[in-house]
Amino acid sequence: MTTLLWLQTGSCGGDTMAILCADSPSLEELVDVYGVEILWQPSLSALPMNRLDELIAAIIEDRLALDVLCVEGSIITGPNGSGMYDPYGGRSKMSLIMQLAEKAQYVVAMGTCAAYGGVHAAPPNPTDCLGLQFDKELPGGLLAAEWRSRKELPVINISGCPAHPNAMTKTLAMLAAGLPVELDHLNRPKAFFNTMVHQGCTRNEYHEYDVEDNALGGKGCMFFNLGCQGPVTVAICNTELWNGRSSKTRAGVPCFGCTSPSFPLDHDLFLTEKIGPIPVNLPLGVERANYMAYKSLAHEAAPERVLNKMMDI
Amino acid sequence: MSSRIIQIELNRVEGDLNFQLELEDGKVTDARCIGTLYRGFEQILLTRKPTDSLVITPRICGICGTAQLNAAVLALEHAGRIPVPPNAIRIRNLCLMAETVQSDLRQSFLFFTPDFCHAKYSKMRFYEKARDAFLPFQGSVYRGALEYSRHIVEIIALFGGQWPHSSYMLPGGVTTAANSRQIIDSLSILNKLTRWFEQNIIGTELDDWLALETADDFFTSLTADNAGENSAIGLFTWMSRDAGLHLLGFGTPHMLSYGAYDDPHDEAAFPPDRKRLFRAGFLNGETGEVMAFDQTEITEHVRYSWFQQYAGGRHPFQGQTVPDYQPHSDRYTWCKAPRYQDKVVQTGPLADALIGGEPLIRELYQAEGGNAWLRQFARLRRTARLLKTMRETLQGLSSDLNGPHIIPPAGKDIPDGEGLGLVTAARGALGHWLQISDGAISRYQVVTPTAWNASPKDSKGRHGHWESSLIGLTVDNPDDPVEIGHIIRSHDPCLVCTVHMLDTGKRISLWP
Repeated sequence: MTTLLWLQTGSCGGDTMAILCADSPSLEELVDVYGVEILWQPSLSALPMNRLDELIAAIIEDRLALDVLCVEGSIITGPNGSGMYDPYGGRSKMSLIMQLAEKAQYVVAMGTCAAYGGVHAAPPNPTDCLGLQFDKELPGGLLAAEWRSRKELPVINISGCPAHPNAMTKTLAMLAAGLPVELDHLNRPKAFFNTMVHQGCTRNEYHEYDVEDNALGGKGCMFFNLGCQGPVTVAICNTELWNGRSSKTRAGVPCFGCTSPSFPLDHDLFLTEKIGPIPVNLPLGVERANYMAYKSLAHEAAPERVLNKMMDI
Repeated sequence: MSSRIIQIELNRVEGDLNFQLELEDGKVTDARCIGTLYRGFEQILLTRKPTDSLVITPRICGICGTAQLNAAVLALEHAGRIPVPPNAIRIRNLCLMAETVQSDLRQSFLFFTPDFCHAKYSKMRFYEKARDAFLPFQGSVYRGALEYSRHIVEIIALFGGQWPHSSYMLPGGVTTAANSRQIIDSLSILNKLTRWFEQNIIGTELDDWLALETADDFFTSLTADNAGENSAIGLFTWMSRDAGLHLLGFGTPHMLSYGAYDDPHDEAAFPPDRKRLFRAGFLNGETGEVMAFDQTEITEHVRYSWFQQYAGGRHPFQGQTVPDYQPHSDRYTWCKAPRYQDKVVQTGPLADALIGGEPLIRELYQAEGGNAWLRQFARLRRTARLLKTMRETLQGLSSDLNGPHIIPPAGKDIPDGEGLGLVTAARGALGHWLQISDGAISRYQVVTPTAWNASPKDSKGRHGHWESSLIGLTVDNPDDPVEIGHIIRSHDPCLVCTVHMLDTGKRISLWP
């Protein structure tokens, strides 16, 4: 049995809605097969709220073992550091989360808000939001950078706005099954964060041959002009499709880099920043001079079917 | 006389809600609906590029982000007088309907019906059957709702890439055209859901069920061949009525609907003047008259809200959202108090059905009023109607496969000015009011369905809808007031709510 407590802080509930959409494994499967015991989930618990108070008391007094603490939402510290823009039972959620984190074997941030601050931390950050263990890209959030859970792990960040449904359930399945969860430099499980969004995008051939769209609604690549961050963002959107069907970039929506600590960027989200004809942010790890040479060659080599955007996406 | 205050804490998708109720001899004498979470979206949008609203505003709500996206794009199109082609309207409508079906299934069977498994009802005639159907993670209907609510949003992924939180509606249309593969895929998803809905929820064929137009026909259909106890709609209806939910939870009699789903044949008109498939209106609950809706009649009050104070009510275009947290004052919530024609109103599927002229809902309303059971029933009735309308929308798309999905806007940027986007989200009337100056957002005001329903008192001291639906209620057991849970959940506050005792006999401060 793996006990799980899920709390929402400054949140839209989107990660809860997303995990209900997970299908491999599904939430039911976590319960039925992986032995996950959901002590509390705000959307799903049928028990009265005083049961949550009892659970919290039992965990804090070490009468109940908490294996996984899931947090969904930005950690709201305002106004004036009180956290009372987001209270629970007369205290701040912020202080409650800190107390529970000390008791959990694992702490998991579900979504970019809990991981790094997310949309609520966008300027002017009206409610003074943080992530659990990061403040945007800076280490150290509600919990210090060196903080570790009882299993000697930092907060596991399943970032995304919302987090990918199957990235959430697969991570929980790994924890329940005792499989190792290796993390990247932003404490995201590498299993879901070592592939660019761009990988598997059905517009990739247009990108390869530098066949670009200048307006939304087309079939070409959106990286050069329309703000798409697919080549600079790690996530499984195009290798494990959303809702089993598609992804934003396949459907013609630029990737907004929602798994990154900087989401949402503080400039026009549908425009690529460029120096001359070349984007400021190049595909991860690419040298500027090489990229310019490669792209002009590629465009010269483009076949008709790509140049004329004759392929379905 | 014994008096006590009980505190009801309640989670929902858009934030946390608390109710503070004053009881005297077991009867609710005062109610305060408290939105406890402040997130500051309207401030985050200021100074941003207008189209950024298409990315930021869906994140207001995880369960109705498609509706937020639609309101945002309509506001931009209104500001820029930007036309859209019929197929874009169809794709938007299809996705909005899929999201609403998702929400209604989850609200009904993950949030509302689990209460019928409460031990309080163990002596009721259908209790065992209700448990078999509605028990969390185990009941047959609960598990079906988990599965099929997951499938229906696949339609949104087919056109928009993912659900929740995509940005595929943009000024002038949508990002991708419909092709025959997507249409067949969508139909296949719809066919499976419809079959489950017919077999497990309504116990008959969709068209037959929608053809029930009178209360007599409806109740007869539940008693024939024990159909009632073998369908979710029957079990829900009998459990509700045995528990007396048709006698509780009325709230304000005034109802508001913005109308739903733009008519693809009226694409030449600009919203908010474009015709809708389900009409907009205001039902005056005192006269019974349905009147034309006029958005200039909307105002928001902040007298009991933690925002910088202004006198009376203001239209959203004059709206102001400056936080002013005053926990020790008589102000008690982060919700503003919206009013229509200076009246307290409710919004949601019951309001939509009555204003739209749904015969069965109208007759049930005339017989028993807008009670907790009917409010919930109207939601499931809507699911049936939407499954049918989604199919018609897909037929419309397949008959015009080569039609454009976007008309690129003439100008590069949305011009300075103002625009509004009014839509029907799963929980009712949702509006965005946008002003643009010097190419950037200079004001953005969002009035959510829950803001209407969860409204606090206004500057004249009049209670909001949820508050008034609880005042006067007699509570059997203040330590476990199940009936309050039913009433609050019938208003679809998104997530579970539960009751938490603070203390007896004296007022307790919730805040430090």
